[in-house]
Amino acid sequence: MYRWVEHTGELELEIEGEGPEEVLAEAATALRELLGAGGAPTGPATRRIVTAQAPDRPALLAAFIEELVFLAESESLVPIGLRRVELDEGLARAEVEVARADPPHLVKAVTYHRLEFEPAEHGYRARVVLDV
Amino acid sequence: MSSFEPRQVDEVTWEIPASARSDMRVPARILADAELLGAIREDRSLEQLVNVATLPGIAEAALAMPDIHQGYGFPVGGVAATELPDGVVSPGGVGYDINCGVRLLAAPIAASELAARREALAHEISRAVPAGAGRGGSLNLRGPRLDRVLEEGAAALVRGHGLGTEDDLERTESGGCLAGADPQKVSARARERGGPQLGTLGSGNHFLEIQRVERVLDRLGAEAYGLEEGQVTFLIHSGSRGLGHQVCTDYVRRMDAALGRFGIELPDRQLSCAPISAPEGRDYLAAMAAAANFAWANRQAIAHRIREAIARVLGGDVAERTKQVYDVAHNVAKVEVHAGRRVCVHRKGATRAFPPGSTEIPADYADAGQPVFVPGSMGTASFVLAGRDGSMAKTFGTACHGAGRSLSRTAARKQIGGAELRRDLEARGIAVRAPSNRGLAEEAPLAYKDVDRVVAVAARAGIAAPVARLVPIGVVKG
Repeated sequence: MYRWVEHTGELELEIEGEGPEEVLAEAATALRELLGAGGAPTGPATRRIVTAQAPDRPALLAAFIEELVFLAESESLVPIGLRRVELDEGLARAEVEVARADPPHLVKAVTYHRLEFEPAEHGYRARVVLDV
Repeated sequence: MSSFEPRQVDEVTWEIPASARSDMRVPARILADAELLGAIREDRSLEQLVNVATLPGIAEAALAMPDIHQGYGFPVGGVAATELPDGVVSPGGVGYDINCGVRLLAAPIAASELAARREALAHEISRAVPAGAGRGGSLNLRGPRLDRVLEEGAAALVRGHGLGTEDDLERTESGGCLAGADPQKVSARARERGGPQLGTLGSGNHFLEIQRVERVLDRLGAEAYGLEEGQVTFLIHSGSRGLGHQVCTDYVRRMDAALGRFGIELPDRQLSCAPISAPEGRDYLAAMAAAANFAWANRQAIAHRIREAIARVLGGDVAERTKQVYDVAHNVAKVEVHAGRRVCVHRKGATRAFPPGSTEIPADYADAGQPVFVPGSMGTASFVLAGRDGSMAKTFGTACHGAGRSLSRTAARKQIGGAELRRDLEARGIAVRAPSNRGLAEEAPLAYKDVDRVVAVAARAGIAAPVARLVPIGVVKG
């Protein structure tokens, strides 16, 4: 589950998941909403392996989202589904279904401001602020 | 709502003392009137400013301009000067859009002479300057040609590609080139993101405006800048695109990983920083300068495309006599000398505002002071200001950069639809070109503070004085 939180200048995303993998999957779904808001995909779905590395779990979430943002900016590919997510020490690897679209609202960067990705009462909770 | 209670120092200065939180090294100082302060206290701006006051080596105070609003790490409208050699430099104190800034061109034609050609001009500019997300720049430089832009800035396009004039360079902050740029410190991904985007406007709050000088407020200043009432001007608001975004991302990560080695503890990871004397600090400043140079080249290319559009609609003579007033950065860190101290001045959503007599500004402007551009929101007035002596005494030579957001993008969309806003603007005689109604609504005037009030505070504080008020007659939205 994810939700966009009011932020005067930027976009703040809060995510909850039963496990850390679900948090990454929800992040991809949120990016699909954000980057796919320009309309339906204009090309067939393809698969990409997205990998991210970082020294800790919150930074790993930021790095994973950055990879999705880079796909959108460099190839106009937006995520439409997540096939498989693997999380290991400092490494995330996901098989992502992507499709060509017209991303209307590109994210400049994924910030470390108030960045969180921690165990919570019912799973995991994360927060990330995107510079738009 | 902020829990900090700033105390009033004078009619437009407020202060949170260094004793307000145990990790503050200096006070946090805010330039605002009571109404602006009320709006500022509604979000996390003051908490973020207090966080800035904890940076190692910060001098005097963490400063907030009257257009401050909540950002990430640093507030937007924040200024921090850190002392060399061992004070820190923080990439988040510059922001992701390194050298986002404003360029103003003045045309030798009155708005009344445009008449029906106003729509055609907006249309032609929107066709000439790629806007919106992603790529589409006609230059698409790579390898050594991109390196030259990173090293030389706007001059690389003027001298290497014939895009503009030497006069443009003279009328650009730092001549359109920050010294010390090193392309080797810019990552491959940054180059990949930015290379194809040179000469593009981008999205978000970036825009081009065709404007009319509604009112001259300082005759001598306006004469120096070549502005007169009724005249058509063109305002360009853009930055370093994906190249700068990636440079900031790369160095926030690198410095975050090195904080332990420097023994630095921070209240927010986005403030990650390194001593200016450390390899991480030096490398960042070299990469940031390269990104700043890319941004000046970007605005140079956009200005050239605008002149080409002017030539097609109004004729080559009008285009040739369309002069650059100035180009200012409002997201940058620069090493400067203030009160005898060498400091690294971080300006995050804040504009350098050097006073008359400064050797850092064009000789033509020596008596008037440095031009400072304060764009309002899309569809409202913008101001040309001139730097004043108070900026050197109070704000490390800095003034405001815009109106400052007061509503989130979501809240703005809830209050007005893009199609409705487009109709409203057109009914007021403003031609609108925007890639999406959603993006248009997010930048609606109601999402911003009152720019007149922001400028009035800057004037009362003595940091900058109003020279001219400009109103839009055409908007090309990014």
